[in-house]
Amino acid sequence: MEKTLNKNNFDSFITGLKKQGYKTIAPKKDNKLVTLDEIQDANEISLDHVITNNSIKEYFLPKTEKILSYTIEKNKVEMKEPEGFAVKSVIFGSRPCDAFSLPVMDKVFNWDCVDKFWVERREAVTIVTISCDKFDSYCFCTSVGLAPDAKQGSDVLLTKISNDEYLVETVTEKGENLVKELESVFSDPPSGTPDRQVATVEKKFDIGKIKPWLDDNFEHDVWDEFSHKCIGCGACTFVCPTCHCFDIVDECSMTKGDRVKNWDGCQFKMFTMHTSGHNPRNTQGMRWRQRIMHKFKYYVEKFDSTLCVGCGRCSRVCPADMNISEMLEIIETEAGK
Amino acid sequence: MDNIYRPYLMTISDMIDEAPGVRTFRLNFSDEEEGNKFQYQTGQFGLYSVFGAGESTFCIASSPTREGYIECTFREAGRVTKALRELNIGDTLGFRGPYGNVFPIEKWEGKNLVFIAGGIALPPLRSVIWNCLDLRDKYKDVTIIYGAKTIDDLVYKNELKEWDARDDVNLVTTVDPGGETPEWTGKVGFVPTVVEEAAPDCKDTIAIVCGPPIMIKFTLPVLEKLGFKHDKVYTTLENRMKCGLGKCGRCNIGCTYVCKEGPVFTAEEISKMPDEF
Repeated sequence: MEKTLNKNNFDSFITGLKKQGYKTIAPKKDNKLVTLDEIQDANEISLDHVITNNSIKEYFLPKTEKILSYTIEKNKVEMKEPEGFAVKSVIFGSRPCDAFSLPVMDKVFNWDCVDKFWVERREAVTIVTISCDKFDSYCFCTSVGLAPDAKQGSDVLLTKISNDEYLVETVTEKGENLVKELESVFSDPPSGTPDRQVATVEKKFDIGKIKPWLDDNFEHDVWDEFSHKCIGCGACTFVCPTCHCFDIVDECSMTKGDRVKNWDGCQFKMFTMHTSGHNPRNTQGMRWRQRIMHKFKYYVEKFDSTLCVGCGRCSRVCPADMNISEMLEIIETEAGK
Repeated sequence: MDNIYRPYLMTISDMIDEAPGVRTFRLNFSDEEEGNKFQYQTGQFGLYSVFGAGESTFCIASSPTREGYIECTFREAGRVTKALRELNIGDTLGFRGPYGNVFPIEKWEGKNLVFIAGGIALPPLRSVIWNCLDLRDKYKDVTIIYGAKTIDDLVYKNELKEWDARDDVNLVTTVDPGGETPEWTGKVGFVPTVVEEAAPDCKDTIAIVCGPPIMIKFTLPVLEKLGFKHDKVYTTLENRMKCGLGKCGRCNIGCTYVCKEGPVFTAEEISKMPDEF
């Protein structure tokens, strides 16, 4: 289904969502940062940013989430299932790269056994994406097979067609239902071919050359070279929309507690350390190799999908100014040797 | 939808101190119906939890031929194992599992078996040893080579005696140099050396090795020298794990997820993995 949405109608769109019982999450100005956060009012929405500082991930795999609650009385334990974690919501104005991370991550949370915390949230949330009309030097979506107006993972895609107007394309049945629910705020599609204002992101490397090189180069000098600057802070893994590694810990008092799943990351030394002190990934170089291999080889072999959407957040936040697309360019050069 | 992270509640019905800091728990299902439905095979592992302290990964140390309970053996080393040691008979703990693949013991029928273990790595082999001994007629000669740092550190001392007394089991125990006392009648030396001395015949024989990574690294070449083909040598790996379900992302060696594709591997499979143990 195609429609248009005028910027002036954002207000009635957000109000309409609220009336229909949706929680709304959108890019929100937070001092100098733009963050995907809950909004109450359309005025809070930022439209002139490149990308939000946080990824869409935390609305499906929160930084910390209860996976079990329990009470302890003497030697008796009673367990309680967490409830109410999947809230009917709309994420409005996320980027196509973020939206695409969701079907990519569906694979790991659904294979063999189903993680209901991920799946039930996925069912409860509708994704309304806005195509990118600008980009910055960190963006590399086109290098990993995406585009600034890619539809995969979105339920509805909005693309700017004039200063005030967006073309509305429904991608899924869920998206179509949402547009029908709020029909009055949308207008008919324009006649003729609309002028889609979409950024032109140039390719930085040829993804086809990356995996064949990784297949043959588990041992290579680049891994240590890449890691020399790394301080092991793990920020890259936290802002990444597809990094999904987690820890499970208990948080409790004497009589009751929760078992929680927390974000974790392969850049931490403790991540793989055995109880004995032996560590299979003993150096930062080994940990960088894991990061690149997981995204561009292991996940591809297991799930037929690259575990990177080219959002560039890891490089934007890196305090040591490391840059993943530059690493991949180096690998491409090595592959050509 | 089922919560894959929800553990079974288990009651500690018995415990035994095996070595300094090492204890075995016998666990019964608090819910009898869950216990009746529960099935596992030798080689599998689980996540044991103390409510309030967290989860820890160990193998199931008992044999599926012994029905009605499972056993785990752990060494006190961190937060969870410390909390485990503070529990008593009658207390409740959590168990998620069984996870992972199994020792293909049906495939080994009619063959000789050589079990080689070091230190706290006997528990995973204890499950498969008892499983095979409980089906003793199906296998030919059974040899167990087990070593620890000191005599005190040998686990399952009662069972070692039991195996030693059996005519149908050849048990070789060893301690690291310096770990012996004047009364010690076993061998003195590291496991790989003792395996080389014991020189089990490779003909029609399956070798099952488990120990610290360094022991495995040095034992595999010895077995190769003795003529064991890579596909006749099995081991079980224990990497750090959190979910046990192929999601949390840390136990992989290259492309292989130890929690899903393992923990049991042949030496042939190991030889194809990158050096990231």
